[in-house]
Amino acid sequence: MTKMNDLQGVIFDGVNQPYVPPKHLRISPKLKLHRDAVTDIDPVTFEVIRHNLWNVNEEHGATIQRISGSPVAMYALDLNPSILTEDAEFVYFGPYMQYMSGVTDTQVKWILENRSDNPGIKPGDMFLANDPWVGAAHQMDVMLICPVFWEGELFCWVTNCLHQYDIGGITPGSFCPSATSAFDEGILIPPVKIIENDEIRRDIEELYLRSSRKPDMVALDFRAQLAGNTAARERILQLIRRYGASVVKGVMRRILDNGEQMFIDKLSRLPEGTWRDRTYIECCRPGDRGTYPVVVTLHKRGNTLIFENEGTAPQQGAMNATYSGWRGSIMVAINQLLCWDQYFAVGGALRHVEFNPTPGTLNCASFPASVSTAPTQAMEISLYPAYNVLSKMMYADPEMRGDVMCIGGTSQWPTTIFRGIDQWGERYGYLLIDPIGGAIGAFSGADGISTGGQSRTPICRLPNIEHTEQSFPLLFLYRKEVTDSGGPGKFRGGLSAESCFIPHNTDRIVQDTLSSGNAVPTSTGMMGGYPGSVNVYRFRRATDILKRLKSSDMIEAIADVKGTDVTLGLRQENFEQNPDDVYSVIWSAAGGFGDPMERAPQSVFDDWQNLAVSVEAARDIYGVAIDARTGALDEAATAKLRAAKREARVKKAGRKVSTLKGELAFLATENLGVRREAGTMHYCCAKCATDLGAVAGNYKENCLREDNTILHAVPLSGDPQRYIDAHPEFRQFFCPGCGTLIENEVALTGEPLLRDLEVTGDALAAVGRAS
Amino acid sequence: MASYFVGVDIGGTFTDCVVIDDQGRVTTAKSSSTPGDFAQGMIDAIAYGAQKLGLTPEALYERISILSHGTTVGTNAIVQKRGAKVGLITTKGHNDVIHIMRGSRGVTGRDVRQVTHFPESQKPIPIVPKRLIRGVSERVDCFGNTVVELNETEARAAIQSLIDEGVEALAICFLWSFLNPAHERRVRDMAREMAPNLYVTCSADLVPKWGEYERTTATVLNAYIGPITAGYLSKLDAKLQSLGYRRPLQITQCGGGTISVQEAMKAPLLTLDSGPVSGVTGSAYLGRAMKTPNIITTDMGGTSFDVGIISGGEPAFSFISNVNQYEYFIPKVDIQAIGAGGGSLVRVDEKTRSLRVGPESAGARPGPVCYSRGGKIPTVTDADVVLGYLDPDNFAGGRIKLDKPAAEAAIGEIAQRLGMTLHECASGIAKIAEFQMADIIRKMTVGKGFDPRDFVLYAFGGAGPLHAGVFSRELGVQKVIVPQRETASTWCAFGAASADVLHILDRVDIMVTPWNPDRVQSNIAQMVKEARERMQQDGIDDKRQLLQLSVDMRHRGQINEVEVSLDGLDLKGDFEAPLRERFYARYEQLYGRGSAFRGARLEMVTFRVRSSAETPRPGLKPSDTLSDALPAAANRGKRRVYWDELKDFADSTIYDGTKFLPGNRITGPAIVDTPDTSVVVRPGQTLSLDAYGNFELLLGE
Repeated sequence: MTKMNDLQGVIFDGVNQPYVPPKHLRISPKLKLHRDAVTDIDPVTFEVIRHNLWNVNEEHGATIQRISGSPVAMYALDLNPSILTEDAEFVYFGPYMQYMSGVTDTQVKWILENRSDNPGIKPGDMFLANDPWVGAAHQMDVMLICPVFWEGELFCWVTNCLHQYDIGGITPGSFCPSATSAFDEGILIPPVKIIENDEIRRDIEELYLRSSRKPDMVALDFRAQLAGNTAARERILQLIRRYGASVVKGVMRRILDNGEQMFIDKLSRLPEGTWRDRTYIECCRPGDRGTYPVVVTLHKRGNTLIFENEGTAPQQGAMNATYSGWRGSIMVAINQLLCWDQYFAVGGALRHVEFNPTPGTLNCASFPASVSTAPTQAMEISLYPAYNVLSKMMYADPEMRGDVMCIGGTSQWPTTIFRGIDQWGERYGYLLIDPIGGAIGAFSGADGISTGGQSRTPICRLPNIEHTEQSFPLLFLYRKEVTDSGGPGKFRGGLSAESCFIPHNTDRIVQDTLSSGNAVPTSTGMMGGYPGSVNVYRFRRATDILKRLKSSDMIEAIADVKGTDVTLGLRQENFEQNPDDVYSVIWSAAGGFGDPMERAPQSVFDDWQNLAVSVEAARDIYGVAIDARTGALDEAATAKLRAAKREARVKKAGRKVSTLKGELAFLATENLGVRREAGTMHYCCAKCATDLGAVAGNYKENCLREDNTILHAVPLSGDPQRYIDAHPEFRQFFCPGCGTLIENEVALTGEPLLRDLEVTGDALAAVGRAS
Repeated sequence: MASYFVGVDIGGTFTDCVVIDDQGRVTTAKSSSTPGDFAQGMIDAIAYGAQKLGLTPEALYERISILSHGTTVGTNAIVQKRGAKVGLITTKGHNDVIHIMRGSRGVTGRDVRQVTHFPESQKPIPIVPKRLIRGVSERVDCFGNTVVELNETEARAAIQSLIDEGVEALAICFLWSFLNPAHERRVRDMAREMAPNLYVTCSADLVPKWGEYERTTATVLNAYIGPITAGYLSKLDAKLQSLGYRRPLQITQCGGGTISVQEAMKAPLLTLDSGPVSGVTGSAYLGRAMKTPNIITTDMGGTSFDVGIISGGEPAFSFISNVNQYEYFIPKVDIQAIGAGGGSLVRVDEKTRSLRVGPESAGARPGPVCYSRGGKIPTVTDADVVLGYLDPDNFAGGRIKLDKPAAEAAIGEIAQRLGMTLHECASGIAKIAEFQMADIIRKMTVGKGFDPRDFVLYAFGGAGPLHAGVFSRELGVQKVIVPQRETASTWCAFGAASADVLHILDRVDIMVTPWNPDRVQSNIAQMVKEARERMQQDGIDDKRQLLQLSVDMRHRGQINEVEVSLDGLDLKGDFEAPLRERFYARYEQLYGRGSAFRGARLEMVTFRVRSSAETPRPGLKPSDTLSDALPAAANRGKRRVYWDELKDFADSTIYDGTKFLPGNRITGPAIVDTPDTSVVVRPGQTLSLDAYGNFELLLGE
């Protein structure tokens, strides 16, 4: 398989291959672009207009939420508005579902190239689009794209995207876990003009709604999207009328230029190098026991970042995403980690980011791969490891270190799709939103946030149980945070939670699962931090739960009921849950940061008191002794325990180590330094300066390596062979000199070591100067 | 014998007392607040008020027909984290509701950066740690049916273990208790039996609403501030009784009226935010007198800018509030705040050459640079001094001297970095703050289906009248009222004195069309009965009660609920069609034409009764005589003031606002000083003192 940039003679036009915009867009001369921008704008006017543009976007999102009112829009916030310049650079995008804006600019560029001549782009037009090869995340994310004209020239674009209930396909809701190709999935719409001269084109609207099982809902949401664009367009025109088009455009340009400058400044403080992460997707079609690697590689070359996915498995089954999904996912991480101080004006940064994926891979799939489940699998796995590679790159700079964030919870979404007849006698179908409760990964100086949501949707919200029970025939037995789920570390990852329910006021419910990350953890930790818990489905049939409810004896864990355990597959379709069958799902938790044995014993003790960590995990992973009987922290025993563990590691390494004396150039990670030694650069333990080899090599090869089963890292995972044939293992790399844990790696047995970072010597001098 | 209505508001520095007699005459008295024993400051202020009226305190107490008091004891306990040690008993398996926080991080109302930059987006410290939460076997379902009987053995053990842990208050919240409160009440009674002195709150008594996270949060917050508020109020009540006050003490509440002291002790949560709400209540009262039913109320202080909306004489409501990131149910007058006040800090981003104002504030300490209290970073107030809006020698009635050169130096330094002149920069700082204020008002009006041009804007708070002329103009508002004379500086006490007794009862019964009329009627009948009982406890007979009925409705399958009035609807007849029409009209008013979806079934969710009793007080009296002639003493000469409109200085007349007579009118550019603030009259605007003694600013565009 060949990387995109090395392919000859392939056309990336959004038909069989994804659309990749050229550097210079081919726009019909019929369309006049507004290019006039004032460069000298006083700071007050700039701030007033900047603030207004940000608010235009907020109001745009609020309008959609108000009019749609659908649970998707209100809880999952599966929508996002954007403003783009006339040539489709991002000015701002909203704080809702971040993926969605990440796939916007390519769609607008496609429209500029493919619609400016025929049927033309004119004032009062809007385009409807959902084609993942042009730029949608998956078919349900329908985008409405609105050009804003001023005096006959295209001034800018306002767009929004909103997840639809159902736009067709073989499975209600249009998530199609058993699809074999895009032809099994929802309708595909390359951008079409659905609003012309400010009127809805009935013919196009009817075409759009025809494939849906819920045409009324889709029609209402379409009106919400229309109202959002109309309101945003009007606000921008008001700004133009008041301040002048060239001034407003000047502000847009400066937002982009400022964002670009800040991005370059940040990159200039970082070493040159390559960072890499590898994770896995499980089960690409019903019954499949495969495991599919997903690799993300980040190169930093001067002031440019290059992302690649080489090493990722070929597209298969129903687990894929397109180029725009992969690119949009990575943009989320860039935006949050590097552009937050510019209010997410990622457009400027994007001028210095290159994407070079390998077409035909599972996250850069060619037509007609199945992509309807992209946001729950292929996009999550494209996004979260990007946090890792960016964080490791950023760690070298002491100031940016504060923005480092580990992978959060729900890094693969354990889907619970269910349907039947509800307590009101009506037919229903639904997807359990609970995993949106997620967890936030650990930071370099603080714990992650337990059930803190999903970082890709910063303002999402879990429905109350009372809301879910009102709408669906369920009785939740519990919903609770899961002890030991947060990835251990010097700073712990956030805990995730578990939802457990039985059918109630109905004969049965019919369910599908759709998941990955149940055997191999996907919320890997960083710099010694452990992975967070995997996704866990539990299903116990014919239990005594109804008897227990009758005798006022409720449960707090599914293990408390008597019954027969059934292992659910990861894409199991149409299984029945009867009223005495208990179902529960734990969504994956967040990764930890740094060596757990460096966590303050008092913090571990507090975690125990707050039910975040068990006594066993405190002892085995953190090396902290808690007397559960007296409820006291034993500091002396803790010190002894930790010292003994480290000594045992050193002894096991049993090698004579040399210590570096050269000047510390920078910290590559929490426990890995880079020192100048006799003219070459060497990795070393950041604690004891033990030499870990020249930077040209992989430092891991000079560490004490210890391999264990995955259960060692994630006791909650259970036997991985329930789902997959491969054997995942937990590799740990310790300093042979002092026993400090430097890094962990989750890999399948037999796979080569991951080279997670390679700093190249030539730019180190620059970093030395910076620090 | 004259009778009096008295309102008292206790602030951090001053305790304000407003006395209105039955002729509508207003007397105000201020005394120092007495931290440690706030009751003393209140008694001092009332005594001072009596003195101003030429009465002995005893004589005044005897003649007070209603004494209303706003307390911040509960708010302070939350801010200072000094509330009670609370234990929580909940449905087994659902212990973590207030820790999960609906998987969000309490993001409502926070700046977007604090929301999306995760290192700044931690959850708050939980009010109740997990080890003080006990799950008990019991369960009710969405029909209100008992699925699991209450396990009393577990309940008793839970209560006992929390008592053993030394909790000072107990909160009880079970799933679906708003439909079937039997289990909660049983546990409540058991707890009272086992520990008669323990403060106990159960959710069904406090906020019987749908949604366990916000309901549980309300319950634990109430328990958290319960003991300290109840302790304070019972002491105060006893003291007032001993001084000769014979009527039930009324406490202002966040719903905009008052409740009896006994109810406030049970539901102190209602007192949170009651201070700012009293400002809105006072505005509504004044608005009634002045026949302006649509009002935007703005209060700009040192750290924040608070906005409320009154439409058709009724304050806009919200039913979910938040404090310290905790979101909780409470029916409350909707007040939204942003971090834009006199103390908002000004910062420059060197790299992008841009200027930012707020949301961080210098607060009272170190305060603005010109206060000379150690503040080094310039603020909006410093810009006001530089521009000439504020007189350095006559600020706050001369109580604080302002260091203008220091303010000029601090802003000058920023101006230089940005390549602007000193005054361009100061004017820009004011403008950025003013535009932020216009934005929040736009969100609360345009964003909710109101046109700001249909509203009069009330500007109060120390910094509001300085900037109202600009942010009102931005919104297209024609008229700004600056409440004046005695009322301005004691606005919240005035609001307390003008508040009606008010009970708001909620009852959730989720019902989809076609509606069952018997169920609707029975809900209403039970609520009306309860409302009347509560009023009787307050000593208010049925004839004086005003009942307003409403219901929150939505499209089935959607989330947005709107409150629709049931008043005047024949609930015994075929009310479905007219109620649908009311719903669509209200929905489209809020969410825009065409947003209602007529094909969908509708759902009733929460029935509501607002039961109020207007205090029989006379209205404010306008002055009979209006004067054209401005007293000579009102003119204090000229000062150089910078005006953004002119991009230049203009010699502007400075007036002493206290010397104005009703009917007097001046035109801008001018500054009118009052004891508490200054009104900036911009070029082209006119200011007059109206018949009620308020300043009326006409924007004239």
